[in-house]
Amino acid sequence: MEENRKNILVFATDIKTKMEKKQITTPLNDLAAIEEWNIDQKDVDCVLRIVSQSITAEEVIKLINELGFNCAELP
Amino acid sequence: MRTRDAGKEEIVKQKAIQMIVSQGIEGFGMNKLAKECGISVATLYIYYADKDDLIKKIGTQIGRNYFEAMIKAFSNDMPFAEGLRKQWDIRISFWETNKMEVACWEVLQNSTYGEYINQGMVDLRAIIVAFYEQAIERKDLVPISPEVFRSIAFGPLFSLLKHHAIGKKLDGTHFTLTSNVIDEAFNLVLKALTP
Repeated sequence: MEENRKNILVFATDIKTKMEKKQITTPLNDLAAIEEWNIDQKDVDCVLRIVSQSITAEEVIKLINELGFNCAELP
Repeated sequence: MRTRDAGKEEIVKQKAIQMIVSQGIEGFGMNKLAKECGISVATLYIYYADKDDLIKKIGTQIGRNYFEAMIKAFSNDMPFAEGLRKQWDIRISFWETNKMEVACWEVLQNSTYGEYINQGMVDLRAIIVAFYEQAIERKDLVPISPEVFRSIAFGPLFSLLKHHAIGKKLDGTHFTLTSNVIDEAFNLVLKALTP
């Protein structure tokens, strides 16, 4: 699978609802460094999963915090 | 950089199946699953995009294993009685050797994932449908709708398998599925389905 060679970052968030997901959609879509992202709203941790070669965890956390949500990198 | 590990992926599948059976679809979370497998949540999200993706992949794989086992031993041009018996035997041995998978399959079939998973089985089911259609053409089978065929051909078997899985008869005493019981039921089914 192509994804094997890519870097995947995962974060626990409190982005729980569809409305909240909408708030992060445009900012994440607009970032060229992010190849792919999704959020697992069926899971308790509302895990945000990001596929990117270049973005750092700190940059993602900063962005999500600025949008008003908690965001912690999962080990 | 995290990479995939086939051994770990198999552990994840087995644990996920156990958790779906014991805790239900709503009850299990990716974090708990990762802990049970001794891996990080992040690793889990390399294998699967999200919980939805995990459930769909696991359900599809159980179904495909089941139908592939069926198709390996059975061909749709077998005489009707022989072909049907083969299908019974394969179903019985699959239930015996894959108890957890069968239980998980049942949970998923009764959930919102049922439809998605069944879509992935259409090509394999078609072989069994062809067997049924040919049997009607050859007049080995009374002309009935596929749903009625399925109910009568396999309903009694599933009912017996459920008793076998619980290990109890209706009155609560011990039950095991013996070859005598299977033969008795199969012969009655055959009697109902053949002209």
